[in-house]
Amino acid sequence: MPGFSGGGVGGGVGGPASAPPRPFRPSRYVPVSAATTFLVGATTLFFCFTCPWLSVYFSSVIPIYIAVIFLFTLANFCMATFMDPGVFPRAEEDEDKEDDFRAPLYKTVEIKGIQVRMKWCSTCRFYRPPRCSHCSVCDNCVEDFDHHCPWVNNCIGRRNYRYFFLFLLSLTTHIMNVFGFGLVYVLHHRQQLDTPHAAVTMAVMCVAGLFFVPVAGLTGFHIVLVARGRTTNEQVTGKFRGGVNPFTNGCWRNISHVLCSSQAPRYMGRWRSPQAVEVQPPFLRPPLTEAQLEAKVLDNGIQNDRHSTRSKSSLDQMESQSADAEPPPPPKPELRYPGLPRADTEESSLLTEAPPTPSMYKYRPTYSSPGRNHTALSHPNKMIRGESLDSPSPSILQSSRQPSYRSEPSSLDGATVVGGGVGVRRGGGERGEGPGGPGGTAVGMSGGMSGHSLTGRSYTSYPSSLVLSTGGSRSSSLRSAHTAHNPLATLQSEGTTDTSYKSLANQTPRNGSLSYDSLLTPSESPEFESAAHELSPQKPRALFPSTTLTGQPEVVSPGSPLQGYTSPFLSAQIAQQREGQLLQGSATFSSPHRAYLRAVSPPPFSSSGPPEIQHLLHHNHDPSSRAFRNPSSSSSSPGARSLEPPVSPPPRGLSLGKSQSYIGEAGPQYKPRPTGGGTVLSGGGAGGGQQAPQSTSRPALANHTTSKPGGGVKKVTGVGGTTYEISV
Amino acid sequence: MQGLVPAATDGNMATEFHNLQELRHSASLANKVFIQRDYSEGTTCRFQTKFPSELESRIERTLFEDTVKTLNNYYAEAEKIGGQSYLEGCLACATAYLIFLCMETRYEKVLKKIAKYIQEQNEKIYAPRGLLITDPIERGMRVIEISIYEDRGSSGSSSGSSSVSGSTAR
Repeated sequence: MPGFSGGGVGGGVGGPASAPPRPFRPSRYVPVSAATTFLVGATTLFFCFTCPWLSVYFSSVIPIYIAVIFLFTLANFCMATFMDPGVFPRAEEDEDKEDDFRAPLYKTVEIKGIQVRMKWCSTCRFYRPPRCSHCSVCDNCVEDFDHHCPWVNNCIGRRNYRYFFLFLLSLTTHIMNVFGFGLVYVLHHRQQLDTPHAAVTMAVMCVAGLFFVPVAGLTGFHIVLVARGRTTNEQVTGKFRGGVNPFTNGCWRNISHVLCSSQAPRYMGRWRSPQAVEVQPPFLRPPLTEAQLEAKVLDNGIQNDRHSTRSKSSLDQMESQSADAEPPPPPKPELRYPGLPRADTEESSLLTEAPPTPSMYKYRPTYSSPGRNHTALSHPNKMIRGESLDSPSPSILQSSRQPSYRSEPSSLDGATVVGGGVGVRRGGGERGEGPGGPGGTAVGMSGGMSGHSLTGRSYTSYPSSLVLSTGGSRSSSLRSAHTAHNPLATLQSEGTTDTSYKSLANQTPRNGSLSYDSLLTPSESPEFESAAHELSPQKPRALFPSTTLTGQPEVVSPGSPLQGYTSPFLSAQIAQQREGQLLQGSATFSSPHRAYLRAVSPPPFSSSGPPEIQHLLHHNHDPSSRAFRNPSSSSSSPGARSLEPPVSPPPRGLSLGKSQSYIGEAGPQYKPRPTGGGTVLSGGGAGGGQQAPQSTSRPALANHTTSKPGGGVKKVTGVGGTTYEISV
Repeated sequence: MQGLVPAATDGNMATEFHNLQELRHSASLANKVFIQRDYSEGTTCRFQTKFPSELESRIERTLFEDTVKTLNNYYAEAEKIGGQSYLEGCLACATAYLIFLCMETRYEKVLKKIAKYIQEQNEKIYAPRGLLITDPIERGMRVIEISIYEDRGSSGSSSGSSSVSGSTAR
């Protein structure tokens, strides 16, 4: 996609108020110019050379009919090109001020009984609503993101999907008209084919015939999508392959929603009426009920404290953390617990309900010695920093970047995923994630450490050490993860991982670096890079020390193209099923993590092998590194894994492939986590049913492992001749 | 920002004004609560009616829930697929979408109603309690933002003294 071409002349368009000006990229306009030229040019020639004869020979209704269809095509083309697809404005600062370091990368919501993951967008600073995706070409989150169409040089989203669809229908009709009537002309002028009129008609017919095949193919594809209530993004990433689509209301309703619903409003560039309401004290207060009075007495003001600490101290803490390389002091209890669902309030309000300590234990793997972290610090620090700068690190980051951090499971996974956390939020690949990635590897390297780190959640194992080591490294999350948050040193890393997620992600440069974006959410990339990205995982993995432990260089199996987006839509049933499996395998606190790890680990090894092979590979590496490998749990993991859909094919929801892409380490494992594995892990770790579905959704993270930046770019032709650039 | 009483300037001559300002309390933004979307029924626009704990002591639960439920009803009405929206679509197609230049879509009409409703709620119910609702459309319809203001007490003490000195000087 031309969009990826770097820098051109700086006089970029200003774009929406919140987006930075983008450099002018002339290559972006080539396809749309070509499309316009062909459409208008060929039709004009047709009207000039063929239509006069048609109107004379048959009737003048024919040119009028062709003109009407052509105008309709043109109108829809213009609407699809110029209409705002449903861009979300960037969230303001106060929407996520406190959660930066503790927020999970994913939040899960239930839609019609199906768990759907909402990912944190580091560029736009909010959790993406369901079906929303971030377009790396346009550098915006788009509602109901379908794809980025190069032929109209615009994203297709909620607001303009209807026009795009009608454009395709009318263009197909127009091409058929032109070709058909041109054929009639040629057949009637067989003896006069050397006249310019006939020659032009034949040329127009050729152009029409050439474009007919891809356009008709794309039209048919979209007719199927509309009938099934899916977006191109979901179809290509295979989100619903193994599960149920929660967004469909039946064929008829889907069609009427596309064609007959009222034009959705735009969010950008709205005129904000100045608030005319004055807020002046004294304020009315509602009378407190008796229960409330009692609660206040017993509360010890903790509730109130939380607010204040959250808003102020956490901010200070974060700031100080980012400032220096030393591990921050343990955070206040209410700050460190990221896992609680934040459904009711925006990131700003912490999970006031969760008692920090017990839940920490519940979710965090035993992190044996803080000392380890410290020792690892020096070494990994360098590694991490260095790594983060290189391209290879992204792979590690990606792997460590487990999607995890969902709100509930996040406590289990996210918290621990220090390394993962690092990767999880789009930390900008090398940048933010770097620390997590290399750190994780460093952890892995140190034998005992690896066992330790790996045990907890797969995420955390790495991240904790990584985080610690990276310490001062950029991601404040690391820092906080490292020590600040938990009074419990062991669990600290996990906790910090959560932060690393969001903070790491937020460290991504705001220019919407494609590399990272594509890495994290390949499916999101407009041109279906996800498919390609998943393939790319190979790259960075090597960096990860864990691979050395496992003895296998990790790779994201290229075979599973659509890993990026393992479908988050896993029915609760399956999730619980998996969870059950996990629970069986994990008796101890750490075991769930192990099981989790286990499920995850195979993927790194076998990029494309079936679960069995992965399992074998997995076991081969057992002695090498995973101290946490637990024979008992291993049994559960294969089982979990087997639940995964085949890795190679585009990942279905919980793509195993994702986990595979993950380099052997525990950290990465979180990401790829095959859906089964994810479920297992979450189930095991959390001991709670809800985790399972969420963990499965995580696999999508695997996509992130694909590193993109600077990687080779492969062009893939999609339906309708659209080409997509996939970084390899 | 709204409703803040401007700090008294130092050394002003109008001591009377300063004295009056002393009596006025100022409100400052203390916190923001975000009501998230309720996606349990798909991507149609609905907000959670769960009462956030931060508002526990600021407003009655029923008032809050009424507000959110009314907003949800408005949005459901805007997104309803029925005769009017279908005719609008046909008309737009027939005029090659030029009709959008002059006509307001159904959704926009409902959004205007919502804006008015929120304004009215703010004036009547929320502002007297030190709260302010922000129209969700400004946040991309992802959250309802409720700003919580705290009473900062009288802000006129310093100005009062200066004004007093000013007055005594005179």
